[in-house]
Amino acid sequence: MTEPQGKPLPQITDFTRPFWSAAKERKLVVQKCRHCGTLDFLPKPWCIECGHRNLEWVEVRPRGTIYSYTVAYTVMMNYPAWKDDLPVVQCIIDLDDGPRMYGQLTGCSPDKVRIGMPVEAYFEDISDEAAIPKFRPA
Amino acid sequence: MRGEVAIVGYGRTPYSRAKSGERIYTIDEYLAWAADLALEKAGMSKNDFNGQGLAVAHAEAAHTVNWSAAVAELLGISPRILLRGDEGGATAAALLIRAAAMISAGVIDRALVLGADTPLTIPSVAPGLPLSPERTRGLFWDFQGPFGIMGANSQFALVQTRYMHDYEIKPEHLGKIAVTTRYHASLNPGAIYRKPFTMEEYLSSRVLSDPVRLLDCVPMVNGGLAYIVTSAKSAAAITDKPVYLLGCGEVSNYYHNSRTRPDITYTGFTQAAPEAFKMAGIALRDIDVFEPYDDYPMVVLIQLEDYGFCKKGEGAKFVQEHDLRFSGDFPISTDGGQLSGGQPGGAIGGFMPIIEAATQLRGEAGDRQVKNAAIAAVSGFGGMTYARNNRSCATLVLGAEA
Repeated sequence: MTEPQGKPLPQITDFTRPFWSAAKERKLVVQKCRHCGTLDFLPKPWCIECGHRNLEWVEVRPRGTIYSYTVAYTVMMNYPAWKDDLPVVQCIIDLDDGPRMYGQLTGCSPDKVRIGMPVEAYFEDISDEAAIPKFRPA
Repeated sequence: MRGEVAIVGYGRTPYSRAKSGERIYTIDEYLAWAADLALEKAGMSKNDFNGQGLAVAHAEAAHTVNWSAAVAELLGISPRILLRGDEGGATAAALLIRAAAMISAGVIDRALVLGADTPLTIPSVAPGLPLSPERTRGLFWDFQGPFGIMGANSQFALVQTRYMHDYEIKPEHLGKIAVTTRYHASLNPGAIYRKPFTMEEYLSSRVLSDPVRLLDCVPMVNGGLAYIVTSAKSAAAITDKPVYLLGCGEVSNYYHNSRTRPDITYTGFTQAAPEAFKMAGIALRDIDVFEPYDDYPMVVLIQLEDYGFCKKGEGAKFVQEHDLRFSGDFPISTDGGQLSGGQPGGAIGGFMPIIEAATQLRGEAGDRQVKNAAIAAVSGFGGMTYARNNRSCATLVLGAEA
């Protein structure tokens, strides 16, 4: 597997491929439980609310708000290639449709980031097979 | 189980930052070294553990699949029961609870509990950092590494930012915890960083992952620790200073209020700590010394709240109003904690608060001895979940008398 940016790439499995493929098509998908309707992220082998394995990937609105954030000035426990991007604003995003996810915020000066700030997802290719969502102020 | 088992020996090897030119010890050497120190303190032999329990904490360093059994092979011990813990920083406390249950059930009479790691000598994409294969493969890495999450500093920073948004706190409050633990480290020959620093130095230390500063971050070291736990009956024959397990509580994967959108300013200690106090039959005011899990000051402050020493959101006020030094009214992290003492891998640091509590309760803490320490509360805190707080919380109440 090539690493064009020298950053870590996911090891894509049949289990997680729907997320990466959808991102490649500029869609944000998460798992939904067909039994109880819970939306959740990161991918789980069954519903964390009711334990049913009958999950489907559904598209959610690529919008949310910042639940928390940090501005990294060093690369710690990640690939050194991230150095080129420092400072990296990392967030926990509450998606408008429910679940929570990690996301990098770009297009915003680190001193302007606030909890509760509305953000929208965009997608960046990281390989021939995968893209990841990143966020910018909405 | 209250008072049925006791710690009768403990050991902690010197720590190493694995600097160039130093003799580099392997994880197996550290395990044997720590075991040797604990056995010597208890006046026991490794052969006393044939037919008994051997417990081994997981580690970052490469090891065989059935590692606990391999450790038995390397040490030449033939245990009846192998205990393996993989609760990260809660492992050492969890293994004590497991061993106590086995002893209480009469399966074994005693267990040798070991932990060691060499995170600074693991081949890694980021030299000097513990990017072990276990951390850089699999589902959790796939949804963190490529997204730019920079490990524990960032994960704890995310908790801290949210906490600072929800509650009143200033950097000085966290600084007081860091300054105090470094002061304690200055009194502990075993700590890796012993030069005291001032609040000004804390506040001007480099920001690594805002709001987490350099002096908020636990330094990795290579090293090993061990303790020996036996039935109370055997303990009385081994030592005149047994350290009894009076209470314990534990929870993994705690959610506060919601599974999908929990409040991340709470930890599982809100559940584990009251369990432990109830079992011990003690009140918070009975605790003479608190050995929290202390890899970041924010983690300590949250524990003060979740243990119930103060209300949620009042940790900063509590820190301000109390003297946290060993000689003060609310001593914490009396060995210098992991912040200044060093963390021998993410899974092994949890041995330190147990061993320091045993040291204090046995009156063996020298220059940092808490006067008349009879009851200690100890935390194990392990792993970080995806976009939440930590994975495993364990609370122990230890006492000089059963």
